[in-house]
Formats: sequence, structure tokens, C-alpha cells
Amino acid sequence: MLTTRSAYLFLAPSLALYVLFVGLPILQVFGFSFFDWDNGIAGDFIGLANYGRLLADGVFWTALWHNAIWVVLTLAFPLLAGLVIAAILAERNASVVRWLGAIYFIPRTIPLVVAGIIWGWIYNPIFGLLNFGLEAVGLGGLAGAWLAQDNTALLSLNVVGAWTFFGFCVIIYLAAIQSIDPSLYEAASIDGASWWRKFRDLTVPLLRGSTLFLGLYAAIEAMRFFDLVWVTTQGGPGYATEVLTTHIYKTFFLVGDFGYAATLSVVLLIIVLSISAGAFALLRKP
Amino acid sequence: MTKSTRLVQNLILLVFALYALVPVYLVFLAAIRSEADLFSGPLTLSWPINFANFGRIWSEAGFATYFMNSVITAVSVTVLVVLTAPLAGFAFAKMNFRGREVLFGLFLAGLVVPAPSVIVALYGNLQAIGLIDNRIGVILPQAALLMPFSVFMMRTVMQDVPDELIEAAVMDGAGLFKIYLTIVVPVVKPGLMSLGLITFLFAWQEYLLPLVVFQTESLKPLTVGAASLQGRYGVDYGGIAAAGLIAFAPLVVLFLAMQRSFVRGLTAGAVK
Repeated sequence: MLTTRSAYLFLAPSLALYVLFVGLPILQVFGFSFFDWDNGIAGDFIGLANYGRLLADGVFWTALWHNAIWVVLTLAFPLLAGLVIAAILAERNASVVRWLGAIYFIPRTIPLVVAGIIWGWIYNPIFGLLNFGLEAVGLGGLAGAWLAQDNTALLSLNVVGAWTFFGFCVIIYLAAIQSIDPSLYEAASIDGASWWRKFRDLTVPLLRGSTLFLGLYAAIEAMRFFDLVWVTTQGGPGYATEVLTTHIYKTFFLVGDFGYAATLSVVLLIIVLSISAGAFALLRKP
Repeated sequence: MTKSTRLVQNLILLVFALYALVPVYLVFLAAIRSEADLFSGPLTLSWPINFANFGRIWSEAGFATYFMNSVITAVSVTVLVVLTAPLAGFAFAKMNFRGREVLFGLFLAGLVVPAPSVIVALYGNLQAIGLIDNRIGVILPQAALLMPFSVFMMRTVMQDVPDELIEAAVMDGAGLFKIYLTIVVPVVKPGLMSLGLITFLFAWQEYLLPLVVFQTESLKPLTVGAASLQGRYGVDYGGIAAAGLIAFAPLVVLFLAMQRSFVRGLTAGAVK
């Protein structure tokens, strides 16, 4: 380890960018939230009045609830799928792993804007493939306007989110499984343990670190995703898919209420920072 | 492993492969079909491939320009990040200095900052310094938002550089920056490659920043162009599909060609 003040020179470029375009705006947003704004001009200092408005803002609570649902769904589905797929792939030969790994990851390379457009068509009530497929197998009664109905819109979008995310989980879990000592599995096999037994008693506990990492990643993404909702439903129908980021965007760019948009931003920041502080505490524990 | 276990496993692998690929296949299919048989006919590829949708979108709908803009922005962001983040990673991994823990914690906190939560202030700042509707106004904030991840990943990569290598060079009286360029960079080249690829991917996919910063049509990237097409070209599904394909095909090709490097980067940020 070199003890040197030149370290600051090495840090300067990235730190400058980071402070100017991320750090400073965060502090400003915090400051903005204590003022009353009119047409983009700061008015009176109003203390916590903007925060008081949160209590009566039904859209905020609806959005927060949708983010929470999104967190739970993301933890439940893509993470579990990724874990099971990685555990299966771990015993297959290298070229199968390489090909399937690539296939599962392809959706992650597609910009969410485009993913939203593609899946918008699949869900389309008139020509969409989903309704078409349901009718083909005799389940036409289930067909619907997936993104235009209150009760299906959020869930349908989550399937798109999962589509872009499960391949990432496969890759992370697979890398972790490959670093597990193979003799553990051999010993279990000699003892006559079934595949399921080995999965439950070896793979799952040994991958705790990766699960925590992916869990944190998924929870943060679930709190801050925006593109997918914005290009498909813009939070609608009504507020059926409203999330915190779309609420911020609308409050800022459409309503022009800078103070309240800043307040919502601060709340979002506090939530993601608390989630990550909690996860880091868990990661530190052996 | 019993036969039935194996069968269930293969079924799982197959179902998820279809989940991943069917939407991609559908957009490909829509992009190469003519308007007439877009919604009729079987879900198999038609021959000969009809490139009319691509031609129309590329020249008439301005996708040649959108494409160039995506290239310019993504390449600029990538160059900026690859030039700066590894320096910081090197400092955090190999140097001792006052405030090291605090500064690293500062970057670490940035890992989770949502772009929409800084936009409220960032937008005004960019306006104040004249960077709204200017490429620089997207490139700099975009690089800044990617900085925490990049510095974090580079610290992990730099930790694998043997201390003896650096110490020997210090003994020889070489300056730190010279050591970085001539000794460290050659060793961590694969890591820099991974960083570059991932940065490029994220920068190409970015939607919110260019959406709010660019007003002039000739500056907008593919993501913004494709999204606006939905409104403008409402029923030209073949055209929209072609636009979508133009927006993601380069990323898919890049990923398939450089899979190993991508995966190395993704896991370097995660595992340690």
C-alpha cells in the first residue's frame, strides 16, 4: 500500500464529475424541498410543509405501494428462476452453459424502451400474441386488455421487468456456484443425496452472499425503475401502474411543482439508502 | 440423477429459453414482413426477407440520425468513464490516504441513487450553464451516474494487481502516473475492456436523460426516437419493429461477440 497524496490527483477527475452532476443535485433537491416554488422560482421557506403534503397525497401512497409490490415480485420470481436455472446449468457441459447463458441474458441487452414496445404488442387486446395463444389453447375467457385494465396492468409490466432481469440472476448465481468446492457435491452424491436435497442443503445456503447481492440489486431497481412504465402506460390506466419515479416526473415536468417534486425525490433517496444500509448490515454478518 | 428429474430440468431450461427469445423473434418477424401480411400468416420466417421497413425507418423517420447520435453519446460516455474510473479504482485499491474510507463510502452510496431523483435539480443546473439541448449535457451527467459502479468495479479489478509489481517500480524511482500507465494498465486490460462494454451498454440504453435534455430532433438517440415513433407512427407496426431492432441489434451482437468479457465485468462488480 502506497501512502501518498497523489491519490487525490487520481481521484480528482471521477470525483469532480460525480460531485458536480450527482452529489450537488442531491444536496440541492434536499434544499428545494423546504421551499414553496412558483414557476420555477423559489419562494418562501416553508419548513416541512411539503413533507406534510405527502400524508394527504393518495397518488404518492399508491405509487409507493406499487413499488413495494414490484420489490416483492422481483425477489420472488426472477431471483428464484435464476437460482434454479443456474443450479441446473452447473451440471451441464460448458457449451450448453455458454449458449443458454447468452440466450437468457439477451433481454437484458435490449433497452427497456424497446422492451416496453415489444411487450406492448404481445399484450395488445386486438392482435396481441398472448390473447391469441390463450384462445388457441381454449382459455379465451382469460384474454384481456392486459395493460389497460387496473387489475392486470402492474402484474403484466412486472413480467416484462422479470424478462429483462432473470438472465442477470442466472449469470451471477452461476459464477458463484462455479466457485463452490466440487468435492462438497461429490461427498453428497456418495451419501446418496438427490438433486433436490443437494440444491436445498448445499447450493441455496452456500449462495447466500449472491442472494443478498441480487436481492439488494432487485430491490433498488424496483424502487427506481422508470423507462418501462413511461413508454408503456405512463402510470395508467388511472394510477394503476404509477410508481414513485413517474410521480416525480409528472410533478416536476407536467405540474411544474418543483418543491413537491424535490420532496418526493428526497423520500425516494431515503428509501433506497435505507434499503442498502440494511442489506450491507446483513452482508457483513457471517 | 433420475430420468424424470432430468426431464423436468430440461423443460425448465426450455421454457425460459422461449420466454427470453420469443419476444425478440416476434419483433424480428414484424420488422421483415410487409404491411399486408403482418398479422396474417404463420409465425415462421417469410422468404425473401423484406427490408422495406428498415429502409423507410432509416431514411424517412430519421433513424440514421438517431443511430449516429446513440453512437456519439455512448462512445463519449464510455471513453470518459474508461479514462477516469480506473484511476480512482487504482487509488482506492493501492493507495493509503486521508479520507479514503469516507470518499469510498461516498461513491458506494452513489450506487443506489435513482436518476429521476436528481433530475429535479440537475435539469435547472444544466439550464443555468447552457447545457440543455446540448450533447455535453447528457454525456457528463450520464458518465457521473455510471461512476459509482465503475469505480467500485475498478477497485475490485485493481486489487488483483500484485503489490510487488508496483513496489518494484517505486523502488526504481518511477512516478505513480507512469507506473499506472506502463505497469498497471497492461495488467488490467481485460478489466478495462469489461468496464468499457458495460458502460457502452448502459449509455446506449439510457432514456430519461436524453428525453429531458434534448429538444432538437437531430440530437436525440435511438431510445428516444423509438419511443416517440409509437405516437407518430401509431399503426406502422412493421416500421416500429424495424426501429426497435435497429435500437437493440448492435447491443445483442456486441454482447454475443464479447460474452466472456461482459460476464467478467458483471460478476466482478457483484461477487466480491
